[in-house]
Amino acid sequence: MKIRTTMLVAGLATGVGITAAQAQSCELKIGAMGPMSGGAAQWGLAMYSATELAAAEVNAQGGLKMGAKTCKVVVVPYDSKYTADAAAAGSNALAAQDIKLIVGPVGSPEATGIKPVAARNEQLAWNASYAKNALETKYPLMFHIAPGPSAWADAVIKKAKTVFPMKSVVLIAPNDQGGTDIASVDAEAYKANGVTATEEYYQRGTTNFAPIVTRVLALKPDVVDTASSPPGDAGVIVKQLRLAGFTGAIGRLGGPGTDEIVRVSGGLDVLQNFYWFETVATADPKVQEIDALYKKLLGKDPVGGTAMWADLPAARMTLKAVSMAGTDDAKAVAVALRAMPVEDPNMGKGYWTGKKAFGIAQELHFPFGIGIIKDGKNLGVERQEAHRD
Amino acid sequence: MTPLIPRARFLLGGAEIAAILVFAAAFAVPTMTRSVLVYSVMNQALVGVVAAQSVWIMLRMNLLSFASPAFMAIGGYTVAIAGQHDITDAFVLTAAAFLLPALVAVPLGALVLRLKGTYFVLVTFVLSQIMQLLLFETPGLTGGSNGISGIPPVTFLGTELATNKQVVLFACGIALLATIITACLTRYFRQHFAAIEENEILAESLGLVVWRYKALGFVVAAGIAGLAGYSLVTMLLTAHPSSFESGTAVDFIAYTIVGGRASILGPVVGTASLVYATNLFGTHGQYAQGLYGALILVVVLALRGGVVGTVASLVRRIR
Amino acid sequence: MEQFLQAGIIGVSLGAQYALLALGFTLIFGILGVVNFSHGGFYMLGGYVAFACVEHLGLPYPLAVLAAILVTAALGWVFELLLIERLVDDHLATLMLTLGLYLVMSTVMLQVFGPLAMDFRFPVTGALRAGPIYAPLENLIVLAICLMAILGLWLVLFRTDLGRGLRALADDRQVAMAQGLRPRILFPAAFALATGLAGLTGALVTPILSLSPGVADPVLATSFLTVILGGLGSLGGAALAAFIVGIVEAYTSVYFGGSIGALVLFVLVLLLLVFRPQGLLGREARGA
Repeated sequence: MKIRTTMLVAGLATGVGITAAQAQSCELKIGAMGPMSGGAAQWGLAMYSATELAAAEVNAQGGLKMGAKTCKVVVVPYDSKYTADAAAAGSNALAAQDIKLIVGPVGSPEATGIKPVAARNEQLAWNASYAKNALETKYPLMFHIAPGPSAWADAVIKKAKTVFPMKSVVLIAPNDQGGTDIASVDAEAYKANGVTATEEYYQRGTTNFAPIVTRVLALKPDVVDTASSPPGDAGVIVKQLRLAGFTGAIGRLGGPGTDEIVRVSGGLDVLQNFYWFETVATADPKVQEIDALYKKLLGKDPVGGTAMWADLPAARMTLKAVSMAGTDDAKAVAVALRAMPVEDPNMGKGYWTGKKAFGIAQELHFPFGIGIIKDGKNLGVERQEAHRD
Repeated sequence: MTPLIPRARFLLGGAEIAAILVFAAAFAVPTMTRSVLVYSVMNQALVGVVAAQSVWIMLRMNLLSFASPAFMAIGGYTVAIAGQHDITDAFVLTAAAFLLPALVAVPLGALVLRLKGTYFVLVTFVLSQIMQLLLFETPGLTGGSNGISGIPPVTFLGTELATNKQVVLFACGIALLATIITACLTRYFRQHFAAIEENEILAESLGLVVWRYKALGFVVAAGIAGLAGYSLVTMLLTAHPSSFESGTAVDFIAYTIVGGRASILGPVVGTASLVYATNLFGTHGQYAQGLYGALILVVVLALRGGVVGTVASLVRRIR
Repeated sequence: MEQFLQAGIIGVSLGAQYALLALGFTLIFGILGVVNFSHGGFYMLGGYVAFACVEHLGLPYPLAVLAAILVTAALGWVFELLLIERLVDDHLATLMLTLGLYLVMSTVMLQVFGPLAMDFRFPVTGALRAGPIYAPLENLIVLAICLMAILGLWLVLFRTDLGRGLRALADDRQVAMAQGLRPRILFPAAFALATGLAGLTGALVTPILSLSPGVADPVLATSFLTVILGGLGSLGGAALAAFIVGIVEAYTSVYFGGSIGALVLFVLVLLLLVFRPQGLLGREARGA
């Protein structure tokens, strides 16, 4: 009786061990990883959209040349749920399908989780986090999609100061790695520019920021910066700041999502004075073509807005590196990548950076943007050229 | 005063022996295959089953505990901090991962075990939330929101367990140990726990010193959860707060309920099937959560007593 | 000083929102013994339904709120009748059912509405101001509606036959059934009442804060906390606890900052339970 139950269990355990053999007709599979459920879903889905576009472009030209073969590129998504263990599980799940190249993951916990496991699985990955240890010399197969605030905070602050004079700033960010790593670097940059900076952290999951707003305003700052708070949260913070009577400028030295902030806060007339870092030079018409290109090749609308644009060069360059290396072996592709110039048909020219911040120069730095909204009018995004370390 | 509840005749029953055999057999699987997917799913399942057993022990007394992530965190971070000080011996760390959460559980239990039923559920939920916050607020010790990464691998009798395969074997070992402890505890005190599960007040009136057994169960469950934390941290080589979120308790509870709460095989079966299912859905990104929920609905509605319970009753009907 | 008063105002408006949530949650527990894991999901659904009515059907906001209540109540009724009813005595099974429902609901909403926050605005803007102190009008309206809802609920439960039946079932189901009360009609009604309340709260609060797939989880956590504090099954306790939680949260966040504030709140609740295990106004807890 119990023996039969044991057989059932043994059968299940064996079932786990059986993996379906797939008939391969020259397919190159690459992985797209990021949170695809929950609050950060748009960023994971943006990673997926970007990789899909890169794959579609190559497939539209007949496929990817890998040595003697020409292969169809297939993108396999994985939801890493913004946690370390899901990202690690993702690396293993993708490795099981012989996927050695991963575009993603997105968040700091995910980057932390995937690094040792992807190294063990000999996979190359591109993380988009702004963590202080997004790259490490002991993980040579880890690449970085775009630099964190250490590369651009200074430029944004300098520009913002010309439009909105400021002597003090309070930064508001969530109290986990995705918040603290960025807000602390931002604070340093403000201080280096002669602006006193205080950091206020909130419990991730907070929906009502009225108490935090009251606390922050008691410090009487000239400017409040939402750092890397998720756009949904930042929108509420802006709404409640304005409701509380704060008329100063609001900044965002963090990631993408300005559209959502404008929407949630109640519009430009509520937002009034705002400056932000754009990962991509969004005003550039060549950059804006990306959405149309996606629609043309895939027949649907892309997800993720400007984040998708920022992720695209990594996906494209990876596929190009595969072609150059003639294989999808991670080490060979990494060698090819490092030798490639940083160039993208839509984004323009950039540089490999990261040596100064992480000790390893495997980070793409493309032209970015600084956006300004003054007196309720969107003055647009000013393009900033990329610079060497 | 004569004991009113007789001691169990045999130390281990059929189900317990079966469970122990399953984990003993599990050692063989990594030697039969080199598939990274098998290693990954097995490893996740081995971590999950230990955590599910922690939940199961409390369920024996009809107490649903959401505190497993909190005790897992204590176990996991203890190991990580030890690793930072170059303590990597498997035996030392296993003992620490079991004992530290168990020790913490003693005063917590005194606080929390007076509550019955749903209060207990909700308070243990609050405990997990508190643990998350404590992790963030103590960056000097726990690395705060960044966690502790790059932990040195475990050393077992001098060998470093660094490859995927070795880590899975280690996880098998932890799971086996946890199962033996759980089996012995729940089997030896089978009738005490059952009496408490059935009707606590009645049991007390019959002379059972209820709080002792509840405390024992709570403390051992905490230790077992600590072992699960150790296994998790070893798998990831990182102790990160996001691994110990209070929401993960829901997963372990699901494994136990879906598998069946009446037998020690329940958590085993539940974990194996749900971890496998999650990995299947994983590559379908956005549908993962919804399919998981649908699966829970189907199993709870159609398979009373969980998978093991249903199979057992089918088997009984056939005989 | 202004900070102190401001924190108080915020605390009261938070309390009103939490009260609406806690009442529904404790109602389901008190009468059915079910821990409703999908409570946050119904809150979110209420918000999305109201948003869809305003955005896609062009309905005025009050009608949209009404629609939200009806949809969430109907879904709750159906869910209880078809699924929970079969297992209503097994508290753990019903917990898992509500959990499964929540996971399915949130995935469906993510698919339909997408992961980004919606442009959903409260029709009334502005605030009452006295120097630096302000009380947003939207919060005052929600406070008013909350008080009316509490009153309405009290009337239903203590002044109608339906309510009497529900309370009888909560007190002692066996005896109530022996007296002829039919749980098959009353249980779905209770569930629908609770989910309708959650939907109402969602429709009211999400335009004030934000509407996105992530809003459901914190709602559940807050409901748990409030209901533990107030005492499971006690409506008065839930309402009282909600205001206490709101006020404590406001003051600790304002004076100690975001994360320490949350920690203080949890520890306070835990300590209270040491001295008063049944919560503020709870009766001896029923087994679960």
